[in-house]
Amino acid sequence: MNFLRKKFLEYYLNPKIDFPVRFDRREYAFILFEEDTMHRHISFKSKEDLLLYLKTNVPAHAYYSSAYYRNPSAETMQEKQWMGADLIFDLDADHLPNANNMSYEEALRAVKEELEKLIDFLIEDFGFGEDELEIYFSGGRGYHCHVHNKKVLDLGSQERREIVDYLTGRGLDFKEIIKEKRIGGEITIEIDMEGGWEKRIADAIIQFFEDIRKMEKEKAIKKLMEIEGVGNKTAEDVYNSLTAERMRRIKAGLLDQATAIKKILKPLVKKVAVSLYSQTDEPVTADIKRLIRLPGSLHGKTGFRVTKVNVDKIEEFEPLRDAVVFKDNKVKIKVEKPFKIKMMDEEYDLKKGVAKVPEYLAVFAIARKFATIG
Amino acid sequence: MDLFKLAKYPFIAEAKEWVKNEKVSIDEILFDEIYERARVRGIERVRQAFERGFISNVALLNEIDCMMEIFSYPIARMIVVAIDNDYLLRRYALAEAKKAYEGLKEEEFEFIQMIAKEFDIELDGNKIHFVDYLKYAPTWDIKWKLVNKKLKAGYVFIRKNEVARILQEAIRKKIYNELVNLFAPPEVKKAFKDEIMEIRNKLILKQKKEEIRKGEIKYEDFPPCMQSLISAIKSGLNVPHVGRFTIVTFLNAIGQSVDEILKLFSSSPDFNEEKTRYQIEHITGRISGTIYATPKCDTIRTWGLCNATEECRGIRHPLIFYKRKRRRK
Repeated sequence: MNFLRKKFLEYYLNPKIDFPVRFDRREYAFILFEEDTMHRHISFKSKEDLLLYLKTNVPAHAYYSSAYYRNPSAETMQEKQWMGADLIFDLDADHLPNANNMSYEEALRAVKEELEKLIDFLIEDFGFGEDELEIYFSGGRGYHCHVHNKKVLDLGSQERREIVDYLTGRGLDFKEIIKEKRIGGEITIEIDMEGGWEKRIADAIIQFFEDIRKMEKEKAIKKLMEIEGVGNKTAEDVYNSLTAERMRRIKAGLLDQATAIKKILKPLVKKVAVSLYSQTDEPVTADIKRLIRLPGSLHGKTGFRVTKVNVDKIEEFEPLRDAVVFKDNKVKIKVEKPFKIKMMDEEYDLKKGVAKVPEYLAVFAIARKFATIG
Repeated sequence: MDLFKLAKYPFIAEAKEWVKNEKVSIDEILFDEIYERARVRGIERVRQAFERGFISNVALLNEIDCMMEIFSYPIARMIVVAIDNDYLLRRYALAEAKKAYEGLKEEEFEFIQMIAKEFDIELDGNKIHFVDYLKYAPTWDIKWKLVNKKLKAGYVFIRKNEVARILQEAIRKKIYNELVNLFAPPEVKKAFKDEIMEIRNKLILKQKKEEIRKGEIKYEDFPPCMQSLISAIKSGLNVPHVGRFTIVTFLNAIGQSVDEILKLFSSSPDFNEEKTRYQIEHITGRISGTIYATPKCDTIRTWGLCNATEECRGIRHPLIFYKRKRRRK
């Protein structure tokens, strides 16, 4: 038997599955080892049935539907009868603009920052309670955030897309957010500091100026000139204007220096917004019948477990330690593609050729196709 | 609630209850002379909705005025259902909703709150729950996009006339859904025989005119942004809201009918005919009066929908691209 499949079987003999709520209203789908097709339209009456399926078929990938159906195993949407769907956010390294230049670990760290931004939005702006949010490491290159709240269950996909647009800042109209006022010849911007995007932008502007103020003049000017459309003169003017008194005015919601602020807005919006999808693909959240990885199942391309992360423990969560299920007995592998990685708090630097490594690393390397069994 | 309020908002549950308690039979309503005023006003509601998209107010000086006004509403509904034309159903539902909007704008907050409650909308002073906001707000208009509103702890801050606008949509939806499931008693066709015939004929004429209006349209002449929007929609990809908005304004500007635009969207994974039709008709001014302009290149770029080619050089508006290409032929 194939090494990976054997290891997965060992796990599925006694797995730790977090069963989704409304368990029997979901559609389940699986991809088996050495197969390309997805087995879809499967439903389970009991949890034991699902566990039995996992044990018997040992899937490389296991999914369930974010939607609830009257007949989850029917083949067409019409027969399935959609009853509602969880609100799910999919944060993936592929959505980050410079993901290609990052190592696996760097990418995961970058996605974690997006996750923290997302959670702040969901709690502060959307008013969800911490107990309504459920976070999972996807086992691959990101995190999923599930929202459990009965008001959002029957939202359609256009409405969900509006939520995504809010989180990503898409369609943000600066004229609506920032109201310019002319006071005695000088243009001032008045900002409502109470909530919404307006407050987030204001906070970002204040933070940005505070950072600039702390820098040496030369460095500050250089930083300002990195912004598109800011020349030497504007940069110097802005720097010189940032007196303590000016900062007090800014914090009160009166932003002088309107021209300069308008120029820094765009890059700041990018920093504030959550990266939920790339230019080419559409957000998962808006899809009201999508499949999502089954919590507690294994990811066939890494061997990591789809693992729950407590909202207040995100900072400490280490995917390459906390999502590992395999043991550390030594396994001989043949490395085809050299790679470096830190797993279970150990640094590994693997060169081409045969190596003896802990089982969990062997699973990862083989799943990622960096190595074969030796 | 007093009779004057019920006359202004005859669609609310309490008004329906009042009509029921009056115990007037269908025959009396349709043929008895003392209800002649209600019948005249009923047909006026339908005519104004069809011809102008709006129903005017009448003076309500005493309780009899109110009574006639309240009765005119179920009469109008029966006529609309008897004519049996989906365009008219939608146009009538919107006209009634707009009439309500004009009234609600001027009402006290307490009263608005009460109406909101009837629609299960969580309204708390000048704040509305974001889920209710998303269900009813015209978010295809950039001003109404959630991202441009103050959202805090689950509630969107809105002004009184904005609440009224949201209620307008809730009312329109409710009236339309009721009409779709309503059957007109056969006596209605007898009582309003001439009027029903007249409006039916006008509807047919209108449809014919629309067919003539559209000329020959060439997809190859579309600017690249519109071409890729169309192919994305046709292949069933989820196209963002602003993308849908953009393509609808464009197709409308070059003379496509609502039905043709609707056909384009029918391959969308979440296609909902009623909703899509309503949005198209709104954007194209068919029922709202306001025709939304096709966004200029700058805007399309900001929305991340631009994929300019060499041919776009020097062009600032997608319609200019299309017109230039056509002229060259």
